[in-house]
Amino acid sequence: MDSLQLGSYTFSSRLILGTGKFSNADVMLDAVRSSGTQLVTVALRRFNRDMAEDDLFGPLSAMEGITLMPNTSGASTAAEAVRAAHIARELSGSPFIKVEIHPNPQHLMPDPIETYEASRILAKEGFLVMPYISADPVLAKRLEEAGCASVMPLGSAIGSGQGLGTADMLSIIIRESRIPVIVDAGLRSPSEAAAAMEMGCSAVLVNSAVAAASNPPEMAAAFAGAVEAGRRAFNAGLMQRSGSAVATSPLTSFLGTGA
Amino acid sequence: MTPLPDWLTEERDSRALASMLANSSPASLEQLAAESRAITLRRFGRTMSLYAPLYLSNYCSSGCAYCGFASDRTTVRRRLESDELQRELLAMKKLGISDILLLTGERTSRADFDYLRRSVERASKEMQRVSVEAFPMSVSEYRKLAECGCSGVTIYQETYDRERYEALHRWGPKKDFIERLETPRRALEGGIKSVGLGVLLGLSEPVEDALRLYRHLRHLGRTWWRAGMSVSFPRMRPQTGGYEPPFPVDDRLLARMIFAFRIALPDVELVLSTRESAPYRDGMAGLGVTRMSIASRTTVGGYDDPESAEKGQFDVSDDRTAEEFCLALRARNIEPVFKNWEPAYNGPSHTESTQTEREEKEPCH
Repeated sequence: MDSLQLGSYTFSSRLILGTGKFSNADVMLDAVRSSGTQLVTVALRRFNRDMAEDDLFGPLSAMEGITLMPNTSGASTAAEAVRAAHIARELSGSPFIKVEIHPNPQHLMPDPIETYEASRILAKEGFLVMPYISADPVLAKRLEEAGCASVMPLGSAIGSGQGLGTADMLSIIIRESRIPVIVDAGLRSPSEAAAAMEMGCSAVLVNSAVAAASNPPEMAAAFAGAVEAGRRAFNAGLMQRSGSAVATSPLTSFLGTGA
Repeated sequence: MTPLPDWLTEERDSRALASMLANSSPASLEQLAAESRAITLRRFGRTMSLYAPLYLSNYCSSGCAYCGFASDRTTVRRRLESDELQRELLAMKKLGISDILLLTGERTSRADFDYLRRSVERASKEMQRVSVEAFPMSVSEYRKLAECGCSGVTIYQETYDRERYEALHRWGPKKDFIERLETPRRALEGGIKSVGLGVLLGLSEPVEDALRLYRHLRHLGRTWWRAGMSVSFPRMRPQTGGYEPPFPVDDRLLARMIFAFRIALPDVELVLSTRESAPYRDGMAGLGVTRMSIASRTTVGGYDDPESAEKGQFDVSDDRTAEEFCLALRARNIEPVFKNWEPAYNGPSHTESTQTEREEKEPCH
């Protein structure tokens, strides 16, 4: 499988894992290991320097071959997300920041206006900005112009497991984008991740689908296989789907008859 | 008398919830539990956010018939001075607590706005997240609290039955039903990021109260659409003052309410405190509740001096230590989360609402 390029970073895995929602840190770490991922996202609000057993950052940063992408979930404005990004960079040393701005911490949908503003500022400051957005093709292009390292449109509402409900919009974003498009949120099954990769997504990010599975490490491995299969299929070139039957009286038979 | 707002009595929006609450068959309860659990797992994962209450003061100017801290009780009155507050905060930090709820009674000269603001300021230096359950304030006071690190305000209507409300609140600033009803709105207008609502179960007909609570949440959610919201389900416990709740809510009805709220409001934080017993809390973990209090003391100064024989506002039922409680959660495959907030997100929120007419009335006691 060809590798994923984000800024100056190269990843051989195209699966990104979220680290929240797991029943404990050990299960989460097992899932990270068995997924073969090299890039994981962790919420700054789950960094806890006062209490090791409540801290997600410590154990993840100790893992070899894993790049951390802190995220700003919990921020509701651009100013808060920018503050959070600065703290996260200082604590983690990672140049990646996943900009995640919801109107409130329980809200499902990303705020496009605040997300754009924070991404623009952070990209200028040299972060590798990965904004989580609704599947909006124009917003995706605006974020590309603002200097983001990728765009991360949602497949469907976060945590919903509704799959690729935004497939039409995603395919426009993928077709038009010059930066990697990473489907983030809403996936439930490995087959949906494979479908996203077949469409030409550069990577997928999953969290709930793995954390809420009965056996999270096994599900993580299943997603890894699906993502690889989907990417290879995309690279191999899918056979064209035939859209309609061919008319028995050809519509273009008049051409070349001197008519 | 100010009439009740239309949104409180409009029934259409709450019909689905009403039908979930009306059915009392065990089979339907099981069905609701399954649906509620699935939504909770998808939406919040296998985690439980933890917080602890900190009583700043038990001075009070109100005469709530059911409360151990009402102004006619003989309870010893005290408030935490700043050095005592600091000791309490450090004692709580040792338990791992980083998310706290500061409580006072109704506004008095001994525990007024300045006292509360200073306490929030100090608490937010030690804690990651600070919320307040105190007296109703004006929009500008809420803004000042948000500026010094308060991210949430809890304010229960106690009951949405106006007649019962006015009979139970015998005197004091809390007597005004509409004024109380308007308080969460003022908090949000002042830039407080999330509000916690609830009824004190036992005071009035519980199903009707639950429906009105739901309408209140929906009304606020549509108007103040950026607001985070949480709902608590406090059941009357034996109180200092010996009040017998006239509408006791049994375990099954409380469970039904929690499941039905989770289904009706998938994104809202549902809270269950140590008023409930250890087996009940353990059983409900993962089925709908997403936030629980731990190691609670309901006396003023209860963390630094846990042996004090002083009477609290109510008796705690689940008196397990933080460690014991976390063990029980882990045994259920649920991760206890102590820190789920970042102080970088503090400060007043955007306060544009979708309200067209702003009421600029700022009642203030």
